[in-house]
Amino acid sequence: MRVKWLWLFLGFLVLVFGLGGEALASEAAAKGGGLPWWAWPLILFGFTFIIGLIAPMSGVGGGVLFVPLSTAFFPFSVDFIRGAGLIMALTSALSSSPQLIRKGLANIKVMAPVVCVSMVTSIIGGIVGLWITNAFPSGKYYITIALGLVLFVIFVVMLTSKRVEFPEVKEQDGLSSALGLTGSWFEPTLNKVVEYKITRLPVGIIFFALVGFIAGMFGLGAGWANVPVLNLLMGAPIKVATSTSMVIIGVNDAAAAWIYIAKGAVLPMIVVPSVIGISIGARIGAKLAVKAKPVFVKYLVMAIMLLAAVLNIIKGLKGLHVI
Amino acid sequence: MEKQVYIDPLNISFARAMEITTYIGLAVMVIFGLLYLVGLSGFVDMKQAIANWNLPVSEFWKEVKGIEIHGYAWFLSNLKGMDCLSMLGICILALAPLLALVAALARAGGQKAYIIFFLIMIAEFVFAIMKPIILPGVGGH
Repeated sequence: MRVKWLWLFLGFLVLVFGLGGEALASEAAAKGGGLPWWAWPLILFGFTFIIGLIAPMSGVGGGVLFVPLSTAFFPFSVDFIRGAGLIMALTSALSSSPQLIRKGLANIKVMAPVVCVSMVTSIIGGIVGLWITNAFPSGKYYITIALGLVLFVIFVVMLTSKRVEFPEVKEQDGLSSALGLTGSWFEPTLNKVVEYKITRLPVGIIFFALVGFIAGMFGLGAGWANVPVLNLLMGAPIKVATSTSMVIIGVNDAAAAWIYIAKGAVLPMIVVPSVIGISIGARIGAKLAVKAKPVFVKYLVMAIMLLAAVLNIIKGLKGLHVI
Repeated sequence: MEKQVYIDPLNISFARAMEITTYIGLAVMVIFGLLYLVGLSGFVDMKQAIANWNLPVSEFWKEVKGIEIHGYAWFLSNLKGMDCLSMLGICILALAPLLALVAALARAGGQKAYIIFFLIMIAEFVFAIMKPIILPGVGGH
């Protein structure tokens, strides 16, 4: 019960912090940047720290919460927010991947064929996103609306997808078999080594191409989509799916990051406090998550994403003077 | 018990290269980023940045520095600024998967399919890095 209230409190903090950020942003704009400069890194640190607390048990990376909430509440251009979101997702993925690979949970052999395709679409997504906001006077509002719509899709995916801990793969497809897409890891809860096989690789590659484009375009991590594809479609056990997804995110986001760096859309002033905040928050969040009920956290994050989706669409429509 | 799990050497090489590069990148990004945030001189004035960070990125740079940005010269030629040094750390982070792929390629041995996959990914990565320099107008503004 205490844990439930703790998470409710955290959700409340996110909203208050977000609304506070919006109020501060309005105030700063009204006064011509009236807030002292040092307030912004602190606000970002606090904001991303709370996101870091919530993210670990929700099954989504911090970037997927940071981008929509920052777009809805903070005064930064969506370009800088996407740049920061991408670097945050990249840092998280790079920090956790080596350990997951050594344990046998993340498999480079599964990652390689899908990333060959998704890296290209991720780069194209990054180019298209920056081109729209810069080529069209109201491009940033269309991007904001599209982000809201993507969040609705993520919401539906999270609502409807059921994770299978150990999917049964009776037969591999020819390509997966030829590439030797198998692996094993020691599962402490079962006290034994679990072996697995991957299947339906060709269909998986198509899905990853689409996901890569969306991730690159909006600066989102893609764990929300990678995991269901690997787990439900390709038959990877849930732990292998989440771990391999981390490596995929790392490679895709690193490739897309160069587009943002080369356009000047990565500002250390935004990125550094955000990366530090989410890193510290995620470490504490991972410990909190042990006691939290995963289903409750999942619903909390879904509610936040739904709210962010609505706010982004409203913000975009207001910018276009539709409402 | 855990020793019974066989991890392909290319996985291990990938992980080691990624880990080392990530530590270096994070250290450079955070140390110089914090020095910038506590007030040491940077390429971008923070007050000006705050006043203009609501603008699309191209307009932001025109307002703040009077420049158009294509490529990496904007921070590589201003490495006296703490923010640009922090950017160097971000670049090292963004290079980590490339170096990991090169390390994995070196250990791929006779696994021809994976040698091809790694070569394709390395080529894609190098293209992603070089594109803003060799094709500055394509897909941009």
